[in-house]
Amino acid sequence: MDIMTGVVYPVAGLVGLYIFVSLASLIWEGIDRKLVARMQRRVGPPLLQPLYDFFKLASKETIIPNTSNFMFRAAPVLSLATAIALLAYTPLGFEPILTSKGDVIVFIYLLALLSLFKILGAISSGNPYAKIGAAREAAIMVSREPAMMLAVFAIMWRLGKLGIEKPFSMSVFYQHNIWEIGTPMSFVGALILLYVFIVWLASEIEVGYFNIPDAEEEIAEGLLVEYSGRYLALFKLTKALKAFISASLVVAIFFPWGISGYLGLTGYAATIADLLFHTLKVFLLLFAVQSIFRATTGRLKVTQAVSFLWGRVFAASLLGSLLIAMEVIM
Amino acid sequence: MRLSPLIPTVLRNLAKKPATNLFPKVEPVPVPENFRGRLIYDVDKCVGCRMCVTVCPAGVFVYLPEVRKVTLWTGRCVFCSQCVDVCPTNALKMSDEFLLASYDKYDEKFIWFKEEEIEELKKKLEEQKKAKEAAKKAENK
Repeated sequence: MDIMTGVVYPVAGLVGLYIFVSLASLIWEGIDRKLVARMQRRVGPPLLQPLYDFFKLASKETIIPNTSNFMFRAAPVLSLATAIALLAYTPLGFEPILTSKGDVIVFIYLLALLSLFKILGAISSGNPYAKIGAAREAAIMVSREPAMMLAVFAIMWRLGKLGIEKPFSMSVFYQHNIWEIGTPMSFVGALILLYVFIVWLASEIEVGYFNIPDAEEEIAEGLLVEYSGRYLALFKLTKALKAFISASLVVAIFFPWGISGYLGLTGYAATIADLLFHTLKVFLLLFAVQSIFRATTGRLKVTQAVSFLWGRVFAASLLGSLLIAMEVIM
Repeated sequence: MRLSPLIPTVLRNLAKKPATNLFPKVEPVPVPENFRGRLIYDVDKCVGCRMCVTVCPAGVFVYLPEVRKVTLWTGRCVFCSQCVDVCPTNALKMSDEFLLASYDKYDEKFIWFKEEEIEELKKKLEEQKKAKEAAKKAENK
């Protein structure tokens, strides 16, 4: 493997993907705000509003509280860096750039690390409201991840039985998908796991029921209460990227079909067509999970959310995983 | 998790037109009859009875004894319309104007019967007085 294919192409691809995904995710945020506004019979902001907000925030004066420590300034940068690194492992309509055996662990680790950096930045600010937000975020984070991990591991293990070269990697979904197994039991299991993933996605991007750590009305934006200017811009961008990446995971697991095969494209054209089609699928999924959920439900209490995630979602994940595993075991 | 009962409403709304008034692009929502907007003062009709000074809850009016008129700064007006109701000569009335934002609280549009006008009126009154006295003298002679 020479230096071109080993280093230069992946880096160029990552930079290109980063630029594309940040634009797409910010534009999705604009579309989401517009759609929610129309659902409430308002006109809503222009589509590019999140971009304007980003540049406005980036040009504002950044205020550092005198009770904060160095993590307050490091956390936004680290969390954006994590999001960018995560893009290299995210299935975006084609195999991830740095795909290898077992990289699902890296994916889950980096996704959790995003929340961890947000928590670290918040508790470093010295503001008690931020600490309440951080405690809530931590509670939600440990409750939502096990259901997703169980489900994703069960699906990957089952797909591994169909014969693939790189088990437990994010490229598995583009070789076999969950609907291919085709038995009624696996079909029902997959539907249950789809429910698990939809709730997980909503809690990951913190909308509707799960808008708990940021809760503007109760704890004044919670985690982000002390952030302003450039650092707030970085956190907002990270949040948009995270929504896109989390939705990409769900799309890759349940709706991985590409479009390039039907159009007969090859090479770069196929990659770009698949990327655009994947973006469309992500937007549709986020419309159902983010826009409608956000427009129709309020927030739960943190205790209710935790018991919901353990009592219903984790139980559903267990049931779905068992149904999917059953045929192989028996 | 039950699905929210709002979902059909929300999806139906998505197909409807927004129910908002796009204000700077179109005319604002029309004001009703007897709308209480910016206070208008007609100096010529004023007889200086001081009723408005008595009735105003916000202290908008200042009585000027030399000219027997009032001057007013509506920056403080609460739009209760009591001065309009009480004014015997209808020198005060409410207009339909409500876009009263300003960079300066002593803007032209908030002050009626300004300093220069008062001076002018004083001079005029003085001249009238002199003319009267001259006429009286001429009569007495």
